[in-house]
Amino acid sequence: MSSTSAFAKRSPLRRWGPWVAVVVVAVAALSVAVFGTRSAPTAQDRVSSISRTVKCPVCSGESVAESNAPASQEIRRQIAEQVQQGQTDDEIRSFYAAKYGQAILLTPSAAGVNVLVWILPIVALAVGIAALVIVFRRWASMPQERATDEDRELVESALHPDELTDENDPHGEGASR
Amino acid sequence: MNLALGRAGVTLGLAAAILGAVTVGYGLIRHRPELVRLSRWYAGLVFLGGFIAAFAMERALITRDFTVKYVADNGSTKTPALYNFATLWGALEGSIILWALILGGYLVAVVLKFRKRLADPLVGWAVFTMLLVCIFFFWMLVGPANPFKSFSPPVGFDGPGPNPLLQNHPLMAFHPPMLYLGYVGFTVPFAFAIAALITGRVGEGWLLATRRWTLIAWGFLTVGIILGSWWSYEVLGWGGYWAWDPVENASFLPWLTGTAYLHSVLVQERRGMLRVWNISLLCATFALTILGTFITRSGVLESVHAFTTSGVGVALISFFALIVLSTVVLIGWRGDRLRSPGRIDSPLSREGAFLANNVLFAAFAFVILLGTLFPLIVEAINNDRVSVGVPYFNRMTMPIGLTLLFLMAIAPVLPWRKASGELLRHRLIWPAWIGVGSMIFAVVVGARGFAPVLAFGLGGFAAGSAGRQLVLATRRQGWRGLVGRANGGMIVHLGVVIIAVAFAASSSYVRQAEFTLTPGQSAQFAGHTLVYEGQNIKQESAKIVDQVLIRIDGTGPWAPSLNKFANGNQTIGTPSVRSTFTDDVALSVIDIKDGENGSVTIRVTVQPLIIWLWIGGAVMAFGTLLAVFPGRRRNPLDAVSAPVSVEPPKEPTGATA
Repeated sequence: MSSTSAFAKRSPLRRWGPWVAVVVVAVAALSVAVFGTRSAPTAQDRVSSISRTVKCPVCSGESVAESNAPASQEIRRQIAEQVQQGQTDDEIRSFYAAKYGQAILLTPSAAGVNVLVWILPIVALAVGIAALVIVFRRWASMPQERATDEDRELVESALHPDELTDENDPHGEGASR
Repeated sequence: MNLALGRAGVTLGLAAAILGAVTVGYGLIRHRPELVRLSRWYAGLVFLGGFIAAFAMERALITRDFTVKYVADNGSTKTPALYNFATLWGALEGSIILWALILGGYLVAVVLKFRKRLADPLVGWAVFTMLLVCIFFFWMLVGPANPFKSFSPPVGFDGPGPNPLLQNHPLMAFHPPMLYLGYVGFTVPFAFAIAALITGRVGEGWLLATRRWTLIAWGFLTVGIILGSWWSYEVLGWGGYWAWDPVENASFLPWLTGTAYLHSVLVQERRGMLRVWNISLLCATFALTILGTFITRSGVLESVHAFTTSGVGVALISFFALIVLSTVVLIGWRGDRLRSPGRIDSPLSREGAFLANNVLFAAFAFVILLGTLFPLIVEAINNDRVSVGVPYFNRMTMPIGLTLLFLMAIAPVLPWRKASGELLRHRLIWPAWIGVGSMIFAVVVGARGFAPVLAFGLGGFAAGSAGRQLVLATRRQGWRGLVGRANGGMIVHLGVVIIAVAFAASSSYVRQAEFTLTPGQSAQFAGHTLVYEGQNIKQESAKIVDQVLIRIDGTGPWAPSLNKFANGNQTIGTPSVRSTFTDDVALSVIDIKDGENGSVTIRVTVQPLIIWLWIGGAVMAFGTLLAVFPGRRRNPLDAVSAPVSVEPPKEPTGATA
């Protein structure tokens, strides 16, 4: 308790200063990461990233990038040509979707019944969080049982006061939790 | 001979399991402890049955006894000894033998560990439940997945050998047994949960009795999953290690719910709360191991219409339904006893963090389950075809993974009951600086992109927080500050952080290209120089190996190869990987052109930090081992929660949820 109140006496600057610095440096590092110079993806990089999202038409579950099947090798060659011609990633993908059907794309479209695969996880997470909020509300409104003086005496007699302050353990975290 | 021995073993196991379940069940209902105590003999006989079956199958494989159909289908005289031995789990029927054997082993271990409490109804019903599970798996070996069918081989018959992919790397000998030790291990806590529901002793006794069993099963599952992804990296040659394919997802699902359980169980041990939730998580974990086996073994993934032809699929899905149904009924029946009086004071507390952890892990598992099953759901609804692949899973799990890393940074320093902002500011400042430091380091060495750099930062934050707890614990207790559940758990956290960072780096900065080279020609890619030197053709007993010799940055030569197996016309590649602590260069041969002056087409995949995935896995395994090791007994007088103010609070706390 004594250590906690010692913190509280410090000025807000002393308390929050280090955290402001952490946030500022973190934001700076992240903005370099997002806006900083980076080498533009080469044509080869685009081919491999597109082919990772297109399913091999003759194998089960592999992408064109992973598969060694002749059909996949042919599609990789074709994607390389399309990239050379300057088509965008989406144009190339919709070309294959039109040719082989939607199932050729490993990312399900957000149309029709497929929208469920994108929406349901968000709904589930929202339900989970809402459930947490509700139970915490309920717990908070539950009457808290008050300790009687009798209880306190019992605790006091069980605890030796000198064991309460361990200098390696100022917050009472205990030895093993 | 082997056939007869194997059938005898399976029959023995099935008979012992049925008789055991009847005897123990009767003894429990009629209160005849002497009957219940007989379970140790039945457990021994079940194990013996499984052992004889496995022994007979190994003997048949090693002696190439082609009168056993499984050997005729999967064995071959040319298969090297190690892979021949591993063929036991190379196909469906054999893997069920392994399952039954391990299940028998766990049953014996339970009976030995609880030998003094066998007549205790809780242990009795747990053994009874395990015997029921044994009946199912031994029945599978008699019925739909019978490995001991006879076959009359023509003169000079030789089998095709195991799938070539399964005899290409020694990890094949270790990955499936580890995975099965994990899968089957969850039967033990599941059985105790069912026993707790049946006996109505739904307090914390069964939890304490099984927490080490759960941890051991979870550890094996972790190791099994990591070895599996290592195997796929070393063997499949597409440059990746995790494809979110249904088989991988099936093993990952019980891992996720099991991990959630390992955390939320602490709340119940400490506060007596979340009883229904914990039992549900445990039963879900066990049910998911069965569902995973169903998904991967029934052929349902090819098409919803394929699986009805497979008796194994129908059996597994029925068993899955039975587990779910009986759990739900039992929980409903015991509903009144499962209600717990406690409350959680504040979301900003250890127990609050565990609840958030559980919501995230449940959402994670839901995404994986939905993505895996969605093609089937769509096919069932409107007969349409849709694929859900890597891009979907990466996009959906990334935010969950990042949030989990953040939680991993905060949660370990939170006290039970209630934390103040002051306390958090104090305890988290150094971990936060470590996180920021890792971001700066990442940006300086050239990392770009929001998600990966944020992942490195949160990884550093979480590692700092785990490190803080370990430093404090070792300062207080010396080397004992590294053992026990809490401290071992922090080492597991470090392993998870290593894997998360390696996963973020390797999946964000992967570069892949194909080159067609003639001998002597070189290529530059992603900062590496590759020189193609020539080919080397080796004749081995089971295959012809055509190696392509390539120097990477002057080291090597590295020798990715194409293997032509003697039996069957399949040609499969074996990649070759140069690993360093900073990046991996993986080479695989796509095509070798005959007669064209030896020109070859190779695929080069460069990914950073891959080796840290395996190191992280080893750290997790080591941490689990330390967590199983008994830690210091907590002095019951030691305070473990933050001091609660003695003054009655003016308004209800924690209303800001």
